Amino acid sequence: MTNPNPLLPLSALGVYFHGMYISLTFGLPVAIGIMLWKWWRTGDSDYYKAARIMTAVLGVNFALGAITGTLVEFGLVQVWPGVNLAIATFAFAPLALELIAFANEIAFLVLFIVTLGRVKPPTSIAILSLYAAFAYFSGVLITAVNSWMQAPWGVGPVAKTLYPFMPEYGPNVVDVPKLVALKLAAVATGQPISLLIEKPGFAQEVGIVLKDPMVAFYSPYALVSIFHNILAAILIGMAVATAGWAYRYFKTGDQKYLKIVKPLAGAFAVLFVIQAPIVAHFMGEAVVHYNPTKFALMEGAEKTYHDPIIALVAYGDPNKPIIGFDELEKACMSNTLTVGDLAKALNLPQTLKLAGQSVDISSLASVKLSDLCLADLQKAKAYMPLIHTAYYVKVAFAIIGGLAAAVLFFYFYKVPGLSAIASAIARIFGDEKRRVFLLALLLVLGTVIPAVGGWAVREIGRKPWSVYGLLYPSEIVTPVSYAASPGFLAFAYLIILAVNLGGLYAMYLVATRGYKFLELLKKGAGVGK
Amino acid sequence: MNPAVFIGFVGLGLAVTLHVIFVSMTIGSGLLAALYRWKAYRENDPWAELFARKVFKVLIVSELFSGVWGTIITVFLAGFFTAVTTLATNTLFIPIAIAIASIMIRIPTIAISWYTWGKIHPRTHSLVMWVMALSGFGVPFGFRAIFAEINHPVAVGYYLQTGHNPGFMPYSNPLFWTLYLHTVAAVISTGGFVAASLLALDKDPRGVKSGLLLGVGFLVAQLIFGPLYYFSLDWYSPLLFKAVNGEFLSLFVIKLAAVAALLALGFVSYKAARGGVISSYVKWLGPLALFTVALGEILNDGGRYPNLVILGDKGLSADLFANFYIDIPMPAVYVILAFLVLSVVVFTMAAFYALYKRFIAEVPEV
Repeated sequence: MTNPNPLLPLSALGVYFHGMYISLTFGLPVAIGIMLWKWWRTGDSDYYKAARIMTAVLGVNFALGAITGTLVEFGLVQVWPGVNLAIATFAFAPLALELIAFANEIAFLVLFIVTLGRVKPPTSIAILSLYAAFAYFSGVLITAVNSWMQAPWGVGPVAKTLYPFMPEYGPNVVDVPKLVALKLAAVATGQPISLLIEKPGFAQEVGIVLKDPMVAFYSPYALVSIFHNILAAILIGMAVATAGWAYRYFKTGDQKYLKIVKPLAGAFAVLFVIQAPIVAHFMGEAVVHYNPTKFALMEGAEKTYHDPIIALVAYGDPNKPIIGFDELEKACMSNTLTVGDLAKALNLPQTLKLAGQSVDISSLASVKLSDLCLADLQKAKAYMPLIHTAYYVKVAFAIIGGLAAAVLFFYFYKVPGLSAIASAIARIFGDEKRRVFLLALLLVLGTVIPAVGGWAVREIGRKPWSVYGLLYPSEIVTPVSYAASPGFLAFAYLIILAVNLGGLYAMYLVATRGYKFLELLKKGAGVGK
Repeated sequence: MNPAVFIGFVGLGLAVTLHVIFVSMTIGSGLLAALYRWKAYRENDPWAELFARKVFKVLIVSELFSGVWGTIITVFLAGFFTAVTTLATNTLFIPIAIAIASIMIRIPTIAISWYTWGKIHPRTHSLVMWVMALSGFGVPFGFRAIFAEINHPVAVGYYLQTGHNPGFMPYSNPLFWTLYLHTVAAVISTGGFVAASLLALDKDPRGVKSGLLLGVGFLVAQLIFGPLYYFSLDWYSPLLFKAVNGEFLSLFVIKLAAVAALLALGFVSYKAARGGVISSYVKWLGPLALFTVALGEILNDGGRYPNLVILGDKGLSADLFANFYIDIPMPAVYVILAFLVLSVVVFTMAAFYALYKRFIAEVPEV
């Protein structure tokens, strides 16, 4: 069987690169839109030029986002082909609707690029808005799928039966015996489930597994994740754009760049106020409720303890204890069922007939569910130092980002009292060029590091499962053993790193370098003589 | 066939056809653009530089949209035909990895080529353009292995019999090589004709001649590769061969007539272009080449109906590979198809403004 462990960091690398481009894809339209608005209202061509440069960066960035999206998509179906079962069921509706988003996102982006500067600013803003709407819709749908992997909405009490500390995940709209039979077949044979679902005629034989294909959309975990992730991505894109223009101001001292930084920093601060105290709070509450192991990892709660501040934030009640792994273990021990009892309760035969293959599950009959539960908690606990550190680094940098946003906002937009304090703080950073640049840089650090840490918490924090409480990475990994070989991994890392680092360098060139080598082209076109 | 499976089959066919139309345009024109960009640098030829830039517009406008349809194919496959997708990824791991690696190089290098034009040294830019052009051929080198395997399962057959991964075995499938050569010649030829049509709008006889040279030259090569693929179907995929010569014969005849027309008009137009005259046919040659490509793909894939996989003179029905795990919400599928049509309309508008109205400047704006 393929060892999934070397493939997890590879997938993570692809996802991180994709996330980075997506952040610019989400944030740059806001920044470009602001520039176009200012150009329209003031007629100042500096704003138009800024919009044009950011559009060129968006063009390269979008290409990189698209190919890393392709990589992630193929990574899912190729390296983790067991996910195909989720794509055919819970993820079917979101991914099918994603086609609407992706196709129209690109069509409107191309239309925007082609017509920018050729049509009136409001028309450009309208086209850009349509592009952004489809881009965000794409984010909504992909987040819905990812959220289903975090909190598998629609399986009702299935996960809770195996892990008593977990909540019920929404209504039960699955055929439980079929789902459990698939899981037991995978456990009994030690083979990934893709070896079952690849068989011609298997789906016909199994029949309906999920009764409500739209159920992934009803998840409260998905709803809050959508706002949290999309806002975070917009903030990163905005921060990068702000820092880019602040850097130009720092290098040149040209006031036209400061003029561009000001509205971007203002919009950033407004969005940050919505994200950090409001949306992030609800995200935390969802994690507390739906991912108890993740919350314990985040808080480093090996043992249950009292902390009124964390409890107030997490539960809204300072007297409640922070549930640690000791309590989760107690919950495991309360389960007295065996796999055999579970199979009997679901009327599963001892020998499952699956696509012409007989799978004997009697060897699992005596396995206690409490032992499985405890073993999985041990696996989860191993991630505690990483998740706990990542979470608190994320929180610390988010606070830094928030403070920098506030200082920059009140530095630019005068509010009695607050602006005086902001100016006093800003002066610590040196002259105006330095202070604007350094504060903008803190916006980048205050958004990028929380995002990197946040995704680590979100994704690694749900281990040892790929689908929380239901499936392990080993059950969905490819059966192709050389996928985890050093040769293939080296090839994959090389391609991913070369393309992405090359792409990032190209974006830097596009953003910063002027046209130096156009003589031949101008001569050919008969212009600029 | 179950209605959901039928919609899946038709949707997949539509996505494959549109994808192939776009990639046929872009792979060939990418090669042409890289060639003339390099010539411009080597020979300090301003016309070649401008020509490369004009041809490159085809890629910058359509490559991403072409990629969308690739994604649509994947989602249709995984969503509607879960078993075949899983079987393909478990069996054809290497060809798919080659295709993905090529896509990863191809799309960013297109964007980088466009946006760094004039910003980096022409030598470096030419190199990036060559990487962009050649990576385009890696994509069908991977994906055509899947098409060859579903028409004549060599590697998949080995896998199903032994349980062992076949590694590079898909490349020992004789149908792969005939299909790949046929594809490569088709995309280069189509790219040439599309470029010629575009340059005809620009009234540039030298550009028309350059496009037609590639278009007609590789269409002549198709006189070898086309029949080779046709007869290899007879040898290795007789059921598909029978369908092409049976239920799909009328389409096949139309395709042959289109190829003949393309060859004749292309040759006449090329002769005229050599004399500095742009024939009135030229602007129609690009669309005619794309029409021929679409017909070829419909014959290849539609000819398999109602099967998804062909085993000699037998077929494995699409039902065997279809998704029966859910009742597919058909209203949602119709809404999706409607929005995909919207995206085609928007894209066509963008392409019209970019290529016909020439909204994209040849010389980049500062």
